[in-house]
Amino acid sequence: MNSDNSKRIKNPLNKRIIRELKQEIGKNLAIFIFIAATIGFISGFYVADNSMKYAYDESFEKYNIEDGNFELSEKISDIVEEKISEYAKVYENFYIEKDIDDQRKVRIFTDRKEVNKVCVIEGEIPNEKNQIALDRLFAEKNKLKIGDNVTIGETDYKITGFVALPDYSALFSDNYDLMFDATHFGVGIVSKEQFDTYGNSKVYYSYSWKINTENPSKELNDKQKEEINNEIKDILINENAGIVNFIVEADNQAIHFTGNDMGSDKAMMTVLLYVVIVILAFIFAVTTMSTIDKESAVIGTLRASGYTKGEMLRHYIILPILVTFVASIIGNILGYTIFKQFVVDMYYNSYSLPTYETLWNAQAFVMTTVIPAIVMIVVNLLVLNCKFKLSPLKFLRHDLKKKKNSKALKLPNLSFMMRFKLRIIIQNIPNYTMLFIGILFASILALFGLMMLPLLNHSGDEIIEHMKGNYQYILKMPIEIDNENAQKCMIGSVINDIKGTHEDEITVYGIEENSKYFSDVKLKDSTSSVVVSEAILEKYKLKIGDTVKVKSEFTDKKYEFKIGGSYYYPQGLAIFMRSDKYREVFELDKDYFNAYLSDEKLDELNETAILTKITKTDMLKVTTQLTDSFGGIVPMMAGFAVLMSMLIIYLLSKVVIEKNAGSISMVKILGYSDREVSRLYVTATGIAAILSALISIPLSYIIVKELFYMFMVDFSGWVSYYVKPIVFVQVFSLTILSYIVVAALLYKKIRKIPMEQVLKNVEL
Amino acid sequence: MFLKVENLEKSYGTGDSSVKVLKGISFEVEKGNICVLLGASGSGKSTLLNIIGGIDTADAGTITIDGDKLENLSEKEISLYRRNHLGYIFQAYNLIPNLTVKENIEVGAYLSKSPLDIDELIKTLGLWEHKDKMPNQLSGGQQQRTAIGRAVVKNPDILLCDEPTGALDYNTSKEILALLEEVNEKYNCTIIMVTHNDALKLMADKVIKLRDGQIRREYINEVRTKSQDLDW
Repeated sequence: MNSDNSKRIKNPLNKRIIRELKQEIGKNLAIFIFIAATIGFISGFYVADNSMKYAYDESFEKYNIEDGNFELSEKISDIVEEKISEYAKVYENFYIEKDIDDQRKVRIFTDRKEVNKVCVIEGEIPNEKNQIALDRLFAEKNKLKIGDNVTIGETDYKITGFVALPDYSALFSDNYDLMFDATHFGVGIVSKEQFDTYGNSKVYYSYSWKINTENPSKELNDKQKEEINNEIKDILINENAGIVNFIVEADNQAIHFTGNDMGSDKAMMTVLLYVVIVILAFIFAVTTMSTIDKESAVIGTLRASGYTKGEMLRHYIILPILVTFVASIIGNILGYTIFKQFVVDMYYNSYSLPTYETLWNAQAFVMTTVIPAIVMIVVNLLVLNCKFKLSPLKFLRHDLKKKKNSKALKLPNLSFMMRFKLRIIIQNIPNYTMLFIGILFASILALFGLMMLPLLNHSGDEIIEHMKGNYQYILKMPIEIDNENAQKCMIGSVINDIKGTHEDEITVYGIEENSKYFSDVKLKDSTSSVVVSEAILEKYKLKIGDTVKVKSEFTDKKYEFKIGGSYYYPQGLAIFMRSDKYREVFELDKDYFNAYLSDEKLDELNETAILTKITKTDMLKVTTQLTDSFGGIVPMMAGFAVLMSMLIIYLLSKVVIEKNAGSISMVKILGYSDREVSRLYVTATGIAAILSALISIPLSYIIVKELFYMFMVDFSGWVSYYVKPIVFVQVFSLTILSYIVVAALLYKKIRKIPMEQVLKNVEL
Repeated sequence: MFLKVENLEKSYGTGDSSVKVLKGISFEVEKGNICVLLGASGSGKSTLLNIIGGIDTADAGTITIDGDKLENLSEKEISLYRRNHLGYIFQAYNLIPNLTVKENIEVGAYLSKSPLDIDELIKTLGLWEHKDKMPNQLSGGQQQRTAIGRAVVKNPDILLCDEPTGALDYNTSKEILALLEEVNEKYNCTIIMVTHNDALKLMADKVIKLRDGQIRREYINEVRTKSQDLDW
């Protein structure tokens, strides 16, 4: 009667998998959709990021990006050019800057044939007068189309095409701007013929250089490049070439910001993915534990019959892995089809990137499919392995607690119903701990999403409110004017020289005594100390009494200032000192000044004498661009946080209800109505959810503060962390809203538990 | 001797709260015999069965099955021993709720290198018409038949039954006992059955009565009474 050994029976327990999937379709579908959507978005992000990063990296060679550029106050002399030619070839990259209106300006170049070659996205390069090809992003932000006419400065142009300049992939008008601003600053290309008509306008003598290489295929290393770049800088300084700007390619934000941002976004997305997967893995583990509790006697019987611990463990983790794996595959398909375009649009909405081709990304596939499955296996193995260490006898006896409760916790003299609810909470502490972790994570996401726009608005308002004069004019030379609104001062810039920090430009103000605009800066009588903006203390983690180390932008001169006080100056990183000290430190003449602060526009100043004019719009560049970049992603993050909260609260509350099905059934038999039973169990979960939300708020405030610091520390400049009070209310309300939706579902579930449930279990 | 139990001792709890549930139990069972362990609640019969089944451990004493001593086996080897030699039947049927009758029996068959023919066994169990039903569509007796099928299908040397009729009515209990007899005769497997039903002693080859963790009486029935002739 023995069956044929060769026909080995397949593990019949596997037949349960699909049935389990169907029986718990609500839970499995919710987790499936969540994983598929998260992986879809992140896979789409990786694919888009990788494809665009490839196009961006390729652009260095394809468009022959410069090794650096410098700007001179006048055309380069033959001697200087010849001296530099020993190290590098210099290319003219002259431009003019013209306004479209008070707020928008365009930097206009001629077509570049050798370095920083133009990528034509659409249309064509102009070949006649009064034609212009504009940067695609700037045109889109300003709703300009090919064929439109646009007046820039005094000239009317017809737009012939959209382009991307590889040296302006991020539209920084100044390399030391905290943020680029694609809405108010753009670049464009005109024909040589058109450029020659600008004779009367101010032309910026900008030059790009490419280092000479004996063998073009042999790449120079960073150190060799740095040495050559320093040689070029020394020639310009020693020859008094009138250096206005000197930027090596590696430090050029307009070139590198895009690439760096792509990298940092990828890291952030990876962290987000794995945190979500770990949380879902724990939820799966918790729900599986609940199933194990329910099937304890069956497991005991199977173990007693000879099923090994490993076989049982494998059986119970197949479903989470299956759901994760299939969700990952579907997520990847969605990533390559739908979500990729979303991310591409997001990048194209921020950066002026060249065209790209979608590339298959094996690493992304591993990161979004294999690793989530491994995370799911590891987390479930860790959690379930503890459970399966118990003996078969313990399973048979439904005795699955490792530690016995030695004593019942004494509760205060509250009403019976309240004590009942507290007992439910105490009994389910492991589940509610998971609930707390989930809510904390959702709160962090919600807070990060919701606080950003108010923070930027607040920052913008503060900048305007604390701006020193509506106009700041930085002059090429001291020019006296007769205007009572105008107040002389000195504005310079240095680079921070603090080890391990991002190289930021710090504005140094030399303030006259009794300054109308800086009357509240408490400068000490002593000339040995300075006042710094609070941003300096925050960003470099310094305190009053410390020394701030800075260096000159172009020379190797270093300075150290003792911090005597701080000043609330939301514009960013600044050092304030008395004017006499400023002149002394920077070795300037007794009567020297280089700036005017004024509440009114100073028409009496000749344009050619002005080096830079800073208006409110310039000051708001950072907040404008950040608002623009975050505008799309903020509602998404908040939506994601709500869904995450709802999913976590629902799944874990469901576990609590299922675990207590026997007790619920029993209290129903005793005569409690569905409403009363629901109030007991749903309210207990409600209390846990509310407490979790309340504790999560201060914790997420601290965590987001750290995240914000990490996010800002690599930017040039600083925006202080600020959370508008209403945002806390919003975050709390989102959790409560999630709970209310879930409570309705739970109420339905409790009503469905039959009274014979408890009797059935006894019979078993 | 197929099964030999020597000086088995077992206590639960520690210190003052320690309770000795087995106090030096020794007995032997021959291959193919039915052995009934009788006793009231708390007499230690289930503990004894669990130790024989390798799902509980003794504090002292030895168990030898077909020449192998259990105390020398590692946890993994004990699991393998249960897999290869034992079948377990409980008062609660402990069937897998989302597998059919046939699939539940396959769960047992999967463990064996030489399982019995499943279809033939299902017919023997009288479950042929019910083979595709889920456990919740069966009566208590049918569920216990399925549980017996799951234990027997792997063709075990020893079938351990812990109150197999404890949750069943009189007629169904007799049907189940008849089935166990049939299995014993047909497959020559040794059956050790724990029960508090004194009437079942008549169907055994060997009867061991336990009280307070000790054997009060042990005897052999020269002739076994057929289960259908039992009454209680």
